[in-house]
Amino acid sequence: MQTAKRDIAVSMTGISKRFGPVRALQNANLEIARGSILGLVGQNGAGKSTIIKVLAGIIKPDSGSIVINGETVTSLTPASVEKLGVHFIHQDRLLVPTATVGEAVFLGHEIGLGPFVSRRGMERRAADLLKRFFGMELPAGTLVKDLTTAQQKVVQITRALAQKASVLVLDEPTAALVKREVDSLFDVLRRLRDDGIAVVFISHYMQEIEKLCDRVTVMRNGTDVGTVDPRQTPIDEIIAMMIARDVGEMFPKRSVTLGAPVLEVSNLRLGGSFDNIGFNVRAGEIVGLTGLLGSGAKEIVQCLFGLKTADGGQIKVEGREVALSTPVKAVRDGIAMLPEDRRAHGVALGLSVRENISLASLRRYSKSGLVSRGAENQAVDSLIKELSIKTPHRDALVRELSGGNQQKVAIAKWLSCQSRVYVLDEPTVAVDVGAKVEIYNLLNRLAGEGAAILLLSSDLLELVGVCDRVLVVYRGRLAGSFSGSAMNSDALLAASSGARSNIDGVAA
Amino acid sequence: MSVSTNDTTAKVSLRGFLAKYSVLIAFAAIVIFFSVASPTFLTPANLFNVLVNNVVMLAIVALGLTIVISSGGIDLSVGVSVDMASMIFVMLLAAGYSGVVGVAGGLGAALIVGVLNAILITRLNISPFLATLGVLFIGQSTQQLATSGGQPIYLTSGYAADQFNAIARTALFGMPTPVIVLIVLVVAVHVLLHRSVFGRYVQAMGAQPGVAWYSGIRVPRELSMVHVLCALLAGVTGILLSATVKSYVPLSGNAFLLDAIGATFIGTTLSRERKPSVIGTLLGVLLLAIVKNGLLLVGWNFYWQQVGIGVLVFLVLAASFGLRRAAH
Repeated sequence: MQTAKRDIAVSMTGISKRFGPVRALQNANLEIARGSILGLVGQNGAGKSTIIKVLAGIIKPDSGSIVINGETVTSLTPASVEKLGVHFIHQDRLLVPTATVGEAVFLGHEIGLGPFVSRRGMERRAADLLKRFFGMELPAGTLVKDLTTAQQKVVQITRALAQKASVLVLDEPTAALVKREVDSLFDVLRRLRDDGIAVVFISHYMQEIEKLCDRVTVMRNGTDVGTVDPRQTPIDEIIAMMIARDVGEMFPKRSVTLGAPVLEVSNLRLGGSFDNIGFNVRAGEIVGLTGLLGSGAKEIVQCLFGLKTADGGQIKVEGREVALSTPVKAVRDGIAMLPEDRRAHGVALGLSVRENISLASLRRYSKSGLVSRGAENQAVDSLIKELSIKTPHRDALVRELSGGNQQKVAIAKWLSCQSRVYVLDEPTVAVDVGAKVEIYNLLNRLAGEGAAILLLSSDLLELVGVCDRVLVVYRGRLAGSFSGSAMNSDALLAASSGARSNIDGVAA
Repeated sequence: MSVSTNDTTAKVSLRGFLAKYSVLIAFAAIVIFFSVASPTFLTPANLFNVLVNNVVMLAIVALGLTIVISSGGIDLSVGVSVDMASMIFVMLLAAGYSGVVGVAGGLGAALIVGVLNAILITRLNISPFLATLGVLFIGQSTQQLATSGGQPIYLTSGYAADQFNAIARTALFGMPTPVIVLIVLVVAVHVLLHRSVFGRYVQAMGAQPGVAWYSGIRVPRELSMVHVLCALLAGVTGILLSATVKSYVPLSGNAFLLDAIGATFIGTTLSRERKPSVIGTLLGVLLLAIVKNGLLLVGWNFYWQQVGIGVLVFLVLAASFGLRRAAH
């Protein structure tokens, strides 16, 4: 280790944190050196964000010690950690869109006299800082919302620098950036490193880690499994460190009998998001779809449910070409969608289990526009039983159910509709492990009954465990199709971070 | 729940009971109070007067607002729909057209207001609050332009008056026609909102618009229907209003707006999820009507009546919210 003791800006040792039965962190360590860029990598749920939230004072650890700039700190709060010079650039932009650049840079630390804010002073200081650090010149009074995403990142970094940051933590800063912007951001970060600032860079893109970082700490299952020099360690080796091998019997096995293609996508294109996407999903098949944030995988799924309209290409359901311009048409064409944001799009919390389940299929239970409560109750009761939805009764509000059971209600809605194609967008986010297994079982059963299932997920273990085949999207293109023994998390992770591709394997 | 002698449990459930039925309790208390305070309050003649003059027209407007509020929106232009229907109806009769043509024309005018709202909200994606506020301004000016600065039109005798009387002064089975109209509309809107597929869609849009859209519901179409229905119901009130007062007085419809909103929200206290309902709205309208009438009988003037209603709405809502929070 070439960094001497005095160069350590932040040292976290033996950090543990439990959330109920879940051990988010177990004896995890993180050491951040001055004048160096540290990469932090790990799968979803490995504990990356938890340890960063501990450092940010958002989560209180159960045990462990934190030393910042040689000082042992006991209770951190978001405000006190900023005072210590540790600043965070979070993934989602946290700038006020209607603020000017000056206001954004000095938000919470306004320049002025007493209660009066000197707007011109702030604009001038902000312009100075932007020019000095980044050589960036913006017209005076530019609004945040008129900046590009990369410029907004720079403004956020400037905000940290204006407050004398000595440690800068960036969570997935490149997710929404294009290549050129990534390059200029990297230049900025290197300059900061050379000025002696400690930079922590969290990313899923292994190429970026390799290009930018001096060291990389790998996390798995809530602990740090090693810190290596990414320039001397092959990416494959780092990926191997990230992946847990104990998948266990979380994923129920099933025997597959595939039928005719139910969903056929060819040459699908959406400007700025993806291009030339083609694949089939056959009756009884579970096809996985994955890609990093901004890869276009999400937009593909949205096009398949009419939430976005593709610019070109063809979608067929059971051999019939469909024009999916709205969800209304998608539902009519037999496509079901389990959206990622369950509370906003999946289930109406303020409606009953019954009203939610029958919502997409009310016409089946009605005569001349009036709902036949008998038919509805019967169908709803049988679905509650079939899916073993844990609810006191069919008229209980969905709000009162657990996350997993809410998700089952969302699935029941489409079962009631007898949909042919199921598009699932991160269906197991924020449901506990037990409910996850139940959802996997449900997917297997749906497939067994001849449905075609497309599962968008960023949980690679889940994809490997559940799917017959996984498609990987990288920067808007299909970068690989994996099945059988080729379908393992190493390969998927490598393909989605652009380290390896498997174009030959893509189904025509 | 099992039988519990626990003191706090009993207290909590009592609070829950009070919260749930605060409107009914307030209703009963007010009826008792005015019965004691004024000898005429509980007489059949007075109650009948309240029903015909204070309940029917407000209740029909409130039915429309109940649909709109259920869908998660608002319609600030109901007064315009009332006025437009009233204006066209009266103008057509003044021009010698038959009652049927007059009613059709009046409802047509209200329909146009509803369609305009629907277009602004579903095609131009303007929020219901702002869209209907804009229509309110436009509608008010239109009336003033059409009546040389707001001149009322009185048709107190002759052919037109006969037509008015045919609507407002007739009775069926001993019930005045406007009351019959109200009963029919209450039943129809109740079935529509609480028993029909359309009503279920409206509730879903109100509960979580994203879920409605993701469930394949044609949200723009259903929402258009909601606003057209609301305007048409307000139009019915406009017809009844003109027929009752045998005239068209510009800008008189706005008086219904706030009372109807108040009645609908008083009605939501009946539901645990604070959803509007036809029964709740009807109770809200009755509550407002008897308070107005009672205060008048005990000698309060118009302005103090408004204060009284404001205080009452506060008390009912505060009691319902506060007690319910305490019960949780």
